[in-house]
This record gives sequence, structure tokens and C-alpha cells, in this order.
Amino acid sequence: MKTLSRKLSSEEIQSFGNELEEMRKEILSKVGQEDADHIKRVYKVYRYTEALGRGLLHFSFDPITFVLGTSLLTISKILNNMEIGHNVMHGQYDWMNDKRFNSRTFEWDIVSDSSQWKFYHNYMHHTYTNVIGKDHDYGYNFTRLTEEQKWKPTYLGQVFANMFLAFNFQWGVGAHGPRVEYMEKPKKQRTKRTYKEYRDVFFKKIELQLVKDYIFFPALAGLNFPKVFLGNLLANMFRNLWTYSVIFCGHFTENTETFSTEELKNETKADWYLRQLKGSSNLKGGKLFYVMTGHLSHQIEHHMFPDIPAKRYQEIAPRLQEICKRYGQHYNSAGFIKQFASVWKRIFAYSFPDKIATKIMEPRNAKARKRLDALSVQTITIEDKELTAVS
Amino acid sequence: MKTFPFIYNQPKDFLNSLQWKDWADFLLGEINPLFSFTETKAKVIDIREETADSRTFVLRTNRNWKGIQAGQHFPVSVEIAGRKVTRFYSLSGLSKEKRTLQITVKKQAGGLVSHYLNERTQVGDILGLGAAQGDFVLPKTLPNSILFLAGGSGITPVHSLLQDLKERNFQGKAKLLYFSRHDKDIILQDSLDLLEKENSWLEIKHVLTDIKSEEYDFGFLSKKMLEDFAPNWKESLVYLCGPAPLQNSAKQLLAGAEIKSELFLLPNQRVSAFSSNGPKEVSLLLSHKTVQIKGEKSILEELEEIGIFAPSGCRMGICHTCVCKKKSGAVSHMVKEEASGEGEENIQICVSRAVENLELEL
Repeated sequence: MKTLSRKLSSEEIQSFGNELEEMRKEILSKVGQEDADHIKRVYKVYRYTEALGRGLLHFSFDPITFVLGTSLLTISKILNNMEIGHNVMHGQYDWMNDKRFNSRTFEWDIVSDSSQWKFYHNYMHHTYTNVIGKDHDYGYNFTRLTEEQKWKPTYLGQVFANMFLAFNFQWGVGAHGPRVEYMEKPKKQRTKRTYKEYRDVFFKKIELQLVKDYIFFPALAGLNFPKVFLGNLLANMFRNLWTYSVIFCGHFTENTETFSTEELKNETKADWYLRQLKGSSNLKGGKLFYVMTGHLSHQIEHHMFPDIPAKRYQEIAPRLQEICKRYGQHYNSAGFIKQFASVWKRIFAYSFPDKIATKIMEPRNAKARKRLDALSVQTITIEDKELTAVS
Repeated sequence: MKTFPFIYNQPKDFLNSLQWKDWADFLLGEINPLFSFTETKAKVIDIREETADSRTFVLRTNRNWKGIQAGQHFPVSVEIAGRKVTRFYSLSGLSKEKRTLQITVKKQAGGLVSHYLNERTQVGDILGLGAAQGDFVLPKTLPNSILFLAGGSGITPVHSLLQDLKERNFQGKAKLLYFSRHDKDIILQDSLDLLEKENSWLEIKHVLTDIKSEEYDFGFLSKKMLEDFAPNWKESLVYLCGPAPLQNSAKQLLAGAEIKSELFLLPNQRVSAFSSNGPKEVSLLLSHKTVQIKGEKSILEELEEIGIFAPSGCRMGICHTCVCKKKSGAVSHMVKEEASGEGEENIQICVSRAVENLELEL
């Protein structure tokens, strides 16, 4: 994988990391009332949309109330999973000392079990971001997105496999849990459990979710059973499509880079920051869009500071961009449509052997690199001028 | 498949997964912030200035309140800058109305909650409460003679005990020796004066410790003071509440008497000859992190310093909110001053100091 960023000396990486550490401290000192108010407000909307959505579904007799009910339930599930669930379970709101927003007690409305998710997401994915073989989120085991994954004929069908995954994303994410935990649990924490025991944790969660959405609530509606059943099915599906799209845009756009386990050796905190930057990509949009993505629109900021309350990423982003510009580092950000298209281009390209894949991927890479080279030349000349002025 | 009949076998787990209690709480809270299905809350219905740095709050609780006895204490939570913080306060006065409580709060040096309550809290605010506890209460059959020793804000539970005695038509004799820094610092003075005037069984003596005043005695608790005021202390039941120095000298002077005492101290207010033998590594098994702490303060405080916030409540070992399972390593209990075993056990991280490398289920 070719990089779009200027290669930094180890001193430069160190000072890059220091600047981020400074920023982290500064932002953390501001966290307080504002953030608590934000998450409580989102929580309120989540509760109201669920009540209203389910209410409308239960008593819906015409298509309009059905569509409205399903949409509200979809919004509620998205808020529960993204802006609340994902961020709360990163421990972003633990400081509030409120059990509703505590990473240890939170359980979400999705088939993935929260304790398993915290292991393979918070620990595995955030520690080994885009490290092939270690980051199980990279391609979710059946998508080839880089030359470093060896091509197999089965990858030819990955465009279709991913379409299928998009509709059933929560199942992919959930099924991921027991497997990763079984394979990767550090020796220190390993209690001798069989794969089946890990899997049963997942099965229990599946059962709770299925009974809730497809038996309990439909049964409550009595004669309206089929409509409620369908409404829940659609809401889960739309939520799946949305989360799939947002999450795939976070790491699999064209210019996000991958890493090997060798590169992890002797990695400093500053190197780690740099890897998070190179391995993630952002989405541009409005404030409402940011909340609906759970601020994964700011994937880069999120990967650098996963435990800072997510709404703060909005104020971190422009400052981070400025830092990246100074260091000649590519800051991967574009609109949703553009990023999403580039994800699918990548999925398509790497379904073929490397020869064809690179041909599809190369032109844009070359163009982007040229643009960036011009940029970094500029910055270097400025630095030179300053140097001469000083001497 | 073994898992499928799970819901059939454990319907309670399914019911909990619906989070119906959270739902009920949310809906009730939307109707009225005081309403709740699970939580005990109270509304501030009156605030009275006691001294320049202490106020009395009259609270009206919701229906979840289980009641309290005079002299007991309970946790009070407030939200400060988005964070829920809890401290214990004693019941400072009885109320004839059901579900109405009174606490008196004096600003403590560096005290977050005591300052917040004194400076920011207004009538109409909602506070979180917890269950009442403590055995600083009157016995079922009242003794003939009772001696109360109080210092500073230690008067608050004593005041409610005196009111309780009045309610119960006390027939014996009661004496109160109350130490304050200076005359403007006497908490609940009007109410104490009134109690003394109305009840012939009660005798109150105010003593100032810092600044002299003509109306009051001056000095710290001494043998002479005790003999002059309550010569029959040996036959009395003694209630003692106040700062540590007062409690220590009282316990020495009153050796042999039956003493009930209460002392609230945060772990860092305890003086102990302790030195850490270097940093400790703590593995947080649930959050998959390994961090270094100094082993000087409580584990809770040291984790918070590096940005990891475990659930916490009173922060002095009373409420058990912060309990977590220790899988390995040893800690020392900062209040009891004793070391724990090596093995698996539940510890209160607010009053535990790391002695060795630890593995915590946190």
C-alpha cells in the first residue's frame, strides 16, 4: 500500500505525538456540564422516538403511520447504537457517575453482546487498527481490501457478500464477538473456556433480541402482530444499512492504509497516533449527520481520542487538520457519497488478483499523491525561508 | 440447542433486558423530576441560613424513601458540572410531616459538595438520596442520664436526637457540651436555645475554642470542664460526634463510660504513617487496560487521576458503590489499616490502596 503522506523522521513523529497529547489534555480539561447535557438530550430523543415509533406501529392502520412508526424506531435504534451505545461503551461518559451512561453497565439494542463487543472493538480494533491479521474489523474475515491479504477465488464474490452483510450487519458484528474473544483473549485474562461458552454468550443475546423484536412487541399488538413484526424487521434492517455504511467509510476508503505486525514492534504512542491517522477516514456533513453517525463521521479523531466525549471531535477536527497540514500528512476526509463510493471501488477492485486490483486503484492514488507532493514541497520551502531568516 | 429455552428458563433476565425499569424511570422523570420508580429523590423545599458558612436544607422525598431514625445519616447526591457526586449527611432535625427531612451542611475546607450545597443549591432543586443507615440512635428504653458531646457540624445528628428525646417525653436528664470555633460559628443556635427553654431536662453549654467571647466558656475539652459540667458522666450514656481531635481526647477522658460515637472522614483526612514502595501495575480486566498507579492514595482516586472513572459514591467506605472484584494482588484497607489477602475477593476501591500489582474486574 502506498502512502499519501510525507515520511516523517522519528523526531518529527515524536513532536507530532506531543502536539496531540497536549491537545488531549486541553480538551479533557473542558469536559463537563456541556457533554453531560448533550448525552442526556440524545438519550431523551432516543427514548421518545422509541416510544412514539413503537406506539405508532402498534396502532397503525394505514401506510402513513406505519412508515412513520418504522422511521422513528429506526432513528431510535441508530441513536441507541451509535451516539449513545458506541460512545458510552468507550467510557466517554464514565466520569458522569450515572449508571445509564456507564461503560460497565450499558447494554445496547443490537445482537452483539456488549462485553464481547468491548473486547474486540475497544481493545482489539482500537489497539491494532488496520493491522492485517490482528484487527478483525479489517474486512470482517471475508472482504479483501489490500494487497497484504492473499487473493483467493472466493473473493470474486465479495461485492455480493458485502451487499448481504450491509443488510445484516448486526449479525456480522455480533458473530465476530465470540470468535475474536476465543482466538485473541490475552493469556492473563484467559479463563479456560471453550469456544462454545463464548458462543453461548452471543446466543443468549440473540435470543433476547429476537424475542423482544419479533415475539414480545408484536404479540403486545395483538391483531396487529404482522405489522409490528415487519416494522421491527425493517427498522433493524435500515439501522444495519446505515451502520454498515458509516463504519465501512471509517477505515476502508481508497487511501486508508494498512499495516503489518512487524510495524507494531517498538511502536511508540506517537507512532500509534500516526497509524490511527493513516488508517482512518472522515465524513463531512452537518451537526445532525454527525450525531446520527455517533460522530464516527470523525473517525480519525475518534481513533486518536476514543475516550473523549464524541461531540468534542467537532472542535478537535479543524485543529488536527491544521497539524496534519504542517506535517504533510494526508487527512482523509470527504462527503459521504464520495467516501462510500470509494469504499465500494475498493471492495470491487480487491475482489480481483493484485494485477487487476492495482490497475483499478492506481490512477486516483497517483493524482492524490501528486497534489500532496506539491503541498509538502510548499511547506518545506516555507520552513527553509524561516530557517534562513533565523540564521 | 441448550440456549434457546433460556428465556423460558430465566424469564427475569429477559424482562431485565427490556430495561423496563429504565423506561419507567424515564417516563416518570419526564412527568416530574421528583418521580422515580427506583431512585429515592428529594426536592429542596426550604433553606435556612445557620451561620456564615452553613445552611439547613429542608427536603421532601418521593415515595421511595424508606424512613429514618433520629441520629442516622444517608447519602445525598448532587450533579456538579455534569458529574454525580455523593456525600453522607446526618439528619439534623425531626419533622412531623411524613417524608420531610432536614440536613445542615457546613462548608468543609476544599469540600466540593458542601460548597456546592451552600453556594448554589436553591429551593426547588432535586437531590438524590440513598437509604438511611447508622446506629448513632437512641436506645429503645431511654436511660436516665445522657451526655452529648458535639463539635462543629457534629451537632447535626445530636440536634435530631434531642428533638427525638422531646418527642418521646424524656423523663431523665440530658446535657449537651457543644464546641464551636467562635460565637458566630454556632450551628442551629436558635433551635438549641428553644429546646433548652422548653425542656427542663436539658442543659446546654456552649464552649468556644478559637476566639473568646464574654457570653461563652473558652477552651478545649478537659477533665475539669467535664467534671464541672457533668460530674455523673460515668452513669451516663455518652453520644460523641465531632472532629477527630475532640473524639480522641473525649475517648481518653471518658474511659469506662458507654460511648456512642460517629466520625466521618474521607480517606485522605486520616493521618497514617504510610509510605509507598513504588508504582504498581493494575490490570483492568473488563476494560482491557493495564495502567500504572502510585499506590499512595486510594485506587479510585489514582485511577481518576489518569482519566479512568469507576462508579463511586461516598468515597469513604460506607456506601459500597465502588465495590469491585480483585482477582489477584493485595491491597490495604485505608480505614481499618489492615492488609488484604492475595486471592480473589471484593474490595472497595475508594478505601483501598494498592500494595502489589493488581488484577481488578473493572
